[in-house]
Amino acid sequence: MAMTSKERVLNLIKGKPLDQVPASSGFGNVIVAGLEKYNLRFAHVHLDAQEMADAAAATVEIVGIETPIVPFDMGVLAEALGARLNTYPHSEDLLYPTMRDKFVQTADDIVLPADMANAGRVPLVSEAIQILKKRFGDDYPVGSWILGPFTLASQVWDLNDLLKSSAKDPAKVEAILAKLTDALILEAKAYVDAGADFITLREMGATSDVLSPRMFKKTVKSWSEKILASIDAPKVYHICGGTDMIVTDMAEVGADAISVDQKNDVAATREKLGPEAVILGNVHPYDVFTAGTPEMVRTEVQKAIDAGVDSVWPGCDIWPATDAENLKIWVDMVHSMEPRRKA
Amino acid sequence: MSEDRKKELFKELHEAVVEYEEDRVAAAAQAVVDEGIDAYEAIMDGLAAGMEEVGVLFDSQEYFVPEVLMCADALYAGLDILRPHVDMTGREAVRGEVVIGVVEGDVHDIGKNLVKMMFEVAGFTVHDLGADVPLDQFVEKQISTNSDIVALSAMMTTTMMGMKKAIVKLKEKNPNVMIMVGGAPVTGEIADMFGADGYSENASNAVSEAIKMVGALRTM
Repeated sequence: MAMTSKERVLNLIKGKPLDQVPASSGFGNVIVAGLEKYNLRFAHVHLDAQEMADAAAATVEIVGIETPIVPFDMGVLAEALGARLNTYPHSEDLLYPTMRDKFVQTADDIVLPADMANAGRVPLVSEAIQILKKRFGDDYPVGSWILGPFTLASQVWDLNDLLKSSAKDPAKVEAILAKLTDALILEAKAYVDAGADFITLREMGATSDVLSPRMFKKTVKSWSEKILASIDAPKVYHICGGTDMIVTDMAEVGADAISVDQKNDVAATREKLGPEAVILGNVHPYDVFTAGTPEMVRTEVQKAIDAGVDSVWPGCDIWPATDAENLKIWVDMVHSMEPRRKA
Repeated sequence: MSEDRKKELFKELHEAVVEYEEDRVAAAAQAVVDEGIDAYEAIMDGLAAGMEEVGVLFDSQEYFVPEVLMCADALYAGLDILRPHVDMTGREAVRGEVVIGVVEGDVHDIGKNLVKMMFEVAGFTVHDLGADVPLDQFVEKQISTNSDIVALSAMMTTTMMGMKKAIVKLKEKNPNVMIMVGGAPVTGEIADMFGADGYSENASNAVSEAIKMVGALRTM
């Protein structure tokens, strides 16, 4: 009997045999066609569980991606901790929400809510997960994700201060990351309790474009380890941006799979990590899926396949103004991939 | 004034910026002032030269962003001391006013801050709108300050797309304003496509681009 999409995605992440490679991603994949299908405004889908679920489901229905993923914006936990979310409700253009008022100056400014599962929009995302679980039954896995503490820190604490303190006052950074780690553990737990089938931990703030590999090892890695150890579900570790110098560390933090973007030399990464490692990536979501011709999509997806990914993932969130046709090309090509471990 | 002494102090400023040693930069800057050496030359051949080397270290991945930020702090330590002593006679002609900011939806401002710093180093007057700046604010600020240049920054491909509209609006209000764009996803090609007048690949090069633009404006 053929495997379900759910079985395929979870087996993919855990490096188990597949009868077919699933088309999936670990982060937001909302598209404008989906918003239109359900008559949704992007600025509002972050604020309503049903809308959030519909927007996620639409991509599955229209494009054939096998992972409905919520949430889409990166502000859920920052908001739960006290920052203000800006969804740009009056903008003509589609903009992702950002955070206002970075309120952290010291670790004392971080106060964990007594009940994280009910703080800010955590319950809203949890409800969206539940709606998706009901809707897709056992056919599709519902995915969710959280930020890593270093990336979260950059949302609630002045980035200049965070980066300079990484060099000049590591104890201060450690104290702040420790608290944010505890918060993120609770957020991930809320999503898993709500039914999320897999979790992606996104620590893009720690890319080698910003931090030295040495700093990654010293300041970031152990917190990711702690969070991943607490998650009782298949898990993926994602960093976009330059990651060639830290892939070995990424593979050691305790996730089942790593996810990288177009800046990563996947062939070299595969060399370093060996045939058993699960590597997901690494097509440029904007340049290829959004702005690229169908021909470019084919070429770039094939490159990722040839480089040795276990499944082709976009390098980061899919930009909403992406043509469904381009994504369908990607989905078809993934389905035609030879599984690295055949069931 | 001994040429050797000048060179010695400029080298000291340069190295201290690269080593991100604020106190050392400040001490050298003070020596420049105390010994009556040209402050502007010290800024350009000492501080700016140091920052240029920092850029090279960053590009070769020896320095990362924390180091660059600390070098910038060191540079400012020197700039704060030297700037009041700069004699701009004969130099205003190629300086001007710049409005700078990161486009709406984008909160990454480190690159923009480095460009701003280099503009200040070179003697431009900078009106910094910060990050996540609505289109209209760029237009309003350019008009109210009558700035020669508007410098737009974006760190993400998606927010970069907002520059196109900003450029149209700015040129509508003032066809003579010069627009420079920069940021991680921005390329010369994209700058041309969007109708920008100039493109800045990095902070050091932003200034030379700006000087060219102001030069062009002055001849109009």
